[in-house]
Amino acid sequence: MRLFVTAALAAMTITPAAATQVALTNSVFVERVSTDGNGNRKVVLEEPKMVTPGDRLVFVLNYRNASAKPAEKFVVTNPLPAAVQFAEQDEAAAVVSVDGGKSWGSLAQLRVRTADGAERAAQYGDVTHIRWAFNQPIPAGGTGKLMFRGIVK
Amino acid sequence: MNTRWGYPVPLCRARAALLAATALAAFAATPALAAGTRAGTTISNTATASFDTGAGTQNINSNTVDMLVDELLNVTVASNNPADVTTTPGATNQLLSFTITNTGNGVESFSLVPNAGVGGDNYDPAVTSIVIDDGDNIYEPGIDVVYVPGSNDPVLNPDAAVTIFVLNTTPGTAVDGNRGIVALVASARTGTGAAGTTFAGQGEGGGDAVVGLTGASGQDDGAFIVASANVALVKSAAIADPLGGSEPIPGAIITYTITATISGTGSVNGLVISDTVPANTTYVPESITLGGTPRTDANDADEARINAGQVVVSLGTISGGNIRTVTFRTTIN
Repeated sequence: MRLFVTAALAAMTITPAAATQVALTNSVFVERVSTDGNGNRKVVLEEPKMVTPGDRLVFVLNYRNASAKPAEKFVVTNPLPAAVQFAEQDEAAAVVSVDGGKSWGSLAQLRVRTADGAERAAQYGDVTHIRWAFNQPIPAGGTGKLMFRGIVK
Repeated sequence: MNTRWGYPVPLCRARAALLAATALAAFAATPALAAGTRAGTTISNTATASFDTGAGTQNINSNTVDMLVDELLNVTVASNNPADVTTTPGATNQLLSFTITNTGNGVESFSLVPNAGVGGDNYDPAVTSIVIDDGDNIYEPGIDVVYVPGSNDPVLNPDAAVTIFVLNTTPGTAVDGNRGIVALVASARTGTGAAGTTFAGQGEGGGDAVVGLTGASGQDDGAFIVASANVALVKSAAIADPLGGSEPIPGAIITYTITATISGTGSVNGLVISDTVPANTTYVPESITLGGTPRTDANDADEARINAGQVVVSLGTISGGNIRTVTFRTTIN
């Protein structure tokens, strides 16, 4: 946990992407579900310019280590846009924050303080950030893809 | 290539259903607009990464993806009269109340169209005007503004509602127990249609306007029920002569009985039974009864009095299903 907090603080000083040799590319797709004449459901992913509340979004983060050395302590953080509700997570692969990135964990571990001072279990709607922390270095030339889902509030 | 999902792709239907259910539950716990993110909002997503390739920790930003939130056109109409509103034949300014709610996510104006011909009823109320409430949910003639289509269409922010009064005249031909339905239809001015219909560039904030699940149009019914009452009067006479018989001879006493039968689901107001004492007979003083109980002749607090040779019994308001019996006696001269 200490490692994550340190990383979050460090993330505030941003180095221009051109000066590094690891690239992170962000794409957002909207799931459009249509049904053809035979009643078959068809899911199409589109890159939207415009969305409407209730649209289901797929966030895709592609990373690539273009340097000649392994990238260690690789941590990717995606603050959830305020208008997007987190949809679901694979707890084995990612941790989330429900307090703006101060603390991290699986959703089941996190708790939220309510207005009346009580605490309750965190829910999907509470998620503010999602984060992937890699145990293994990204080898030179290595690429990969991270994904999560959200719904336009 | 490595692929890590924040959540595995829900290809199977059961998983998708679970996702939808959890999403709904989470929405309920989120204090956001019911209508969703305001139209015109830009959703920006940027991720960051940190790593170490041997030269210390470095941080990078991803590119930023921007998406504009379109306007969803949605509206609901709800009658504020859960029970039928009672009316009477010929009555004017009979009120039905409706609430129009903008359930979309952008500011929108709505046209209002009443429809008294929806069917499924006994008569068509005549809609005389539509009035826009000033916010207190009380109909105030002269304060609340009369609706003029295209001129003062209600403009509602997301989640905002307005109360609309529809004024009607009940036809004189309607009879007791008749029901008359009036529907009010509210439609988004930007446009209506099947869900998903898009009006390019016409959304609030520069995006598209997209018809939502309500079809951008809402409707609800309000209903009147006619409650009227009728009065049937039956008069009978019984003679008792001084000889113990029933012959109409001088000195015989005639007991008149007037029975008023009120029928219907409504009530009659100001019901007065009056009867002139017949010629050649003399009224027997203090002989009036109502429901078998004596009443005085004087013009006082009780219902009965003698006025210029007439027996007058003022019964006031009597609802349907009641019977009132008045008796009085005269002597044959």
